[in-house]
Amino acid sequence: MMSFISYLLNGLSLGSVYAIIALGYTMVYGIAKMLNFAHGDILMVGGYAAFIALNSLGLPVPVAVLVSMVVCTLLGISIEKIAYKPLRKANSLSVLITAIGVSYLLQNLAQLIFTANPKSFTSFVGIEPIKLAGGQLTVSGETVVTIVTCVIIVVCLVTFINKTKAGQAMLAVSEDKGAATLMGVDVNGTISLTFAIGSALAAIGGILLCSAYPTLTPTTGAMPGIKAFVAAVLGGIGSIPGAFIGGIILGVLENLAKAYISSKLSDAIVFSVLIIVLLVKPTGILGKKIMEKV
Amino acid sequence: MAAMLKVDSLGISFGGLKAVDNFNVEIEKNELYGLIGPNGAGKTTVFNLLTGVYQPTSGQIVLGDDNITGLDCEAISKKGIARTFQNIRLFSQLSVLDNVKVGLHNRHEYSTLDGIFRTPKFRKIEREMDEKALSLLKVFDLDGFCNYKASNLPYGQQRKLEIARALATDPKLLLLDEPAAGMNPNETEELMNTIRLVRDKFDMTILLIEHDMKLVSGICDRLTVLNFGQVLKQGQTQDVLHDPEVVKAYLGD
Amino acid sequence: MDKVIAEKKKITRSNLITFAMVIIAYVIVEIMINTGNVSSLFKGLLVPLCIYSILAVSLNLVVGISGELSLGHAGFMCIGAFASSTWSMIMKSTSMPEGLRFFIAIVIGAVTAAFFGFLIGIPVLRLKGDYLAIVTLAFGEIIKNLVNALYFGIDANGLHFSLEDSMHLNMDGGTIIIKGAQGITGTPKNSNFTIGVILLLIVLFIVLNLINSRTGRAVMAIRDNRIAAESVGLNATKFKLLAFTISAAIAGVGGVLYAHNLSSLQALPKNFGYNQSIMILVFVVMGGIGNIRGSVVAAVVLTVLPELLRGLSDYRMLIYAVVLILMMLCTSAPSWIQYRERIMMSFGKNKKVNGKESN
Repeated sequence: MMSFISYLLNGLSLGSVYAIIALGYTMVYGIAKMLNFAHGDILMVGGYAAFIALNSLGLPVPVAVLVSMVVCTLLGISIEKIAYKPLRKANSLSVLITAIGVSYLLQNLAQLIFTANPKSFTSFVGIEPIKLAGGQLTVSGETVVTIVTCVIIVVCLVTFINKTKAGQAMLAVSEDKGAATLMGVDVNGTISLTFAIGSALAAIGGILLCSAYPTLTPTTGAMPGIKAFVAAVLGGIGSIPGAFIGGIILGVLENLAKAYISSKLSDAIVFSVLIIVLLVKPTGILGKKIMEKV
Repeated sequence: MAAMLKVDSLGISFGGLKAVDNFNVEIEKNELYGLIGPNGAGKTTVFNLLTGVYQPTSGQIVLGDDNITGLDCEAISKKGIARTFQNIRLFSQLSVLDNVKVGLHNRHEYSTLDGIFRTPKFRKIEREMDEKALSLLKVFDLDGFCNYKASNLPYGQQRKLEIARALATDPKLLLLDEPAAGMNPNETEELMNTIRLVRDKFDMTILLIEHDMKLVSGICDRLTVLNFGQVLKQGQTQDVLHDPEVVKAYLGD
Repeated sequence: MDKVIAEKKKITRSNLITFAMVIIAYVIVEIMINTGNVSSLFKGLLVPLCIYSILAVSLNLVVGISGELSLGHAGFMCIGAFASSTWSMIMKSTSMPEGLRFFIAIVIGAVTAAFFGFLIGIPVLRLKGDYLAIVTLAFGEIIKNLVNALYFGIDANGLHFSLEDSMHLNMDGGTIIIKGAQGITGTPKNSNFTIGVILLLIVLFIVLNLINSRTGRAVMAIRDNRIAAESVGLNATKFKLLAFTISAAIAGVGGVLYAHNLSSLQALPKNFGYNQSIMILVFVVMGGIGNIRGSVVAAVVLTVLPELLRGLSDYRMLIYAVVLILMMLCTSAPSWIQYRERIMMSFGKNKKVNGKESN
């Protein structure tokens, strides 16, 4: 029983990381209608930025987190401005390929600068492990911080989108760019803001991921990026609560599958669940159904 | 005279809303029948029910001697109903000729393997299809554009191509959804002649939705007026158009 | 009718050019090999060039002709590779002639991949757009994952499978053929450049003829407007499934070539993972969506390009990424296209007028 709870908590922690990354995916998809394949690599850049700030520059943890977020935000905005914005009216495949190009670019730049050798990442969490149930259950500080951070982020985001003018502008742009422009919404600004928030979240996701799994390589972001993408689709892409739910389900499932079924087949199991969910609900758990008018 | 289409108390509801309710109509062979009514009255929904895009929640549809209620689009097309769409739906990347040849798909058959290995059967049937398609395009003066990409045709020609494609399926009943939408009076005049020509040349039964009253009163033999999903009036064109209730439905109080 | 015949001739000529290009390239390379002008590095690239060309054509059938985005084609390649390799391993010790054995291997690879394509296509093709893309990606990863965990052996009692380890096979002597993550070792090296080119030509023949037939027209009509296609009596699911299955079979053939080109076959992320699927998609998009000849050209150019940049060692993938982004911007971004046209105009005005005439 204790081991089950332990696996569950680890799953929640991993799921929280997926959820944080998936939020970025889902927001960008909602507003730009594009699969930002480079999102996972922004996470990796965030990891390296935090690594340098903490280990090489010796900055305190909160400042290092901030530095990483700022770096990713600027990176996200510039990528959007340079690579995606000119293609806003082009077909979706061209944008997808460009995003893949950006992903390759970031990975190979990181490899040039930091080499392919893994860096051992010092955890950003200073909290001692918590012992529960008379010492039978140990919960690491990283687990607690990750889960709490994720919940805070989701609550903040939902509030931001529903209660602020900028958030409402995001909803308007994701619904109909043309109409939003006519209503006086600054579409370019809103899209930039979305990329900024998504990238800052990726930075946090990167730091939390590397704190829990402390090796950092230029491809660190690739698989979590794909998993987060799966989480976003599972929850219903474009939906913020959906990304959260999708992330948590994916993380828990992955850890439980590893523990109880087969560690080798955990990916296959996770992906199978995605397929089954989509076959039952073709637009994800919280996705909206769109019907074509004849 | 036997009815070509007999629709009996047809209805559909979307989440409790009755979009079409108790719709009845009988169309005779070779008749040109009009379906009119204010926006949102459910006219296109009737077309979608007749062609199997939606499945009716009640009622039945009989085409000639076949009960086609509940069949899907593919089966209904094979039974002999063809249609055009309010917002033109062509195969935009295909050539004008190929658009019509897709319409001929179920009338001229050879297998995929014949196609890959270019068998004599493939050659023979492709030639037949080319000839048939060209003769259909000629009716609409489109044969000169046969190698154009469909999306490069001017608007009026696109409407005609849609009719040609529908006719290629060799239907018993042709449904036209607002064929004159977006046309100027001259083009509408030309379209009226085309529709008459289609009826006479192909011995076709036609049901059309239209807002252009000049076209409706010019070519329709009989009319049904639909309002809020229900039949408001049915009968000879001139009688229906001058009915006070119909005028009220269109103009309001 | 004259216009129709002229158009048909145009298509036939275009197809012949595609075949001629492949054959001429083959002849030139063969001459260069025989005169000793080819580095061993380039020789090693010849079979992969054929494999990637075949895969690009296969994926273009789904993406360009059928209009669905698939990110799992490496999975079908993986199935073709492992199925055919297993066959060749089993038959290696028999007296079956090598040519016949490899021919059957190709058929087995194609049929197995087609079978899985059909099976996966039934549920997947109900989805649309990006959802279809992610589900095909998921299937590709599942296939890779399962193959990685698969143990397979054969003994006097028959076939043994396990997803655990070799012990669970409960073998009574015999040989273990697939050893989990280690894959298959010792596949006979039957692939060579000539066979690769022949298979590529066959694939081109099938795909090009398919596109210009009743079936291909139906598939493209459904791509352009599904509702209209159904209204003229086409079964959209059937034709989408057909295109997907044929495409999977062709990807399987690519896998057969791949497996029989290397002595050890493993299901790694880099050969059968989503990255490989994306790589193939890049070929398709770069070559022009729906343009079969373009797929072959793009596959060749983009496979050779990183090798040509090998002198730049660390920078080559970086340059590749930049080329990819710039190419997309140049060909698809409206502002870039305008800019490009303005430059073209200043060079020669009459060139553009000719370009617009066709069609």
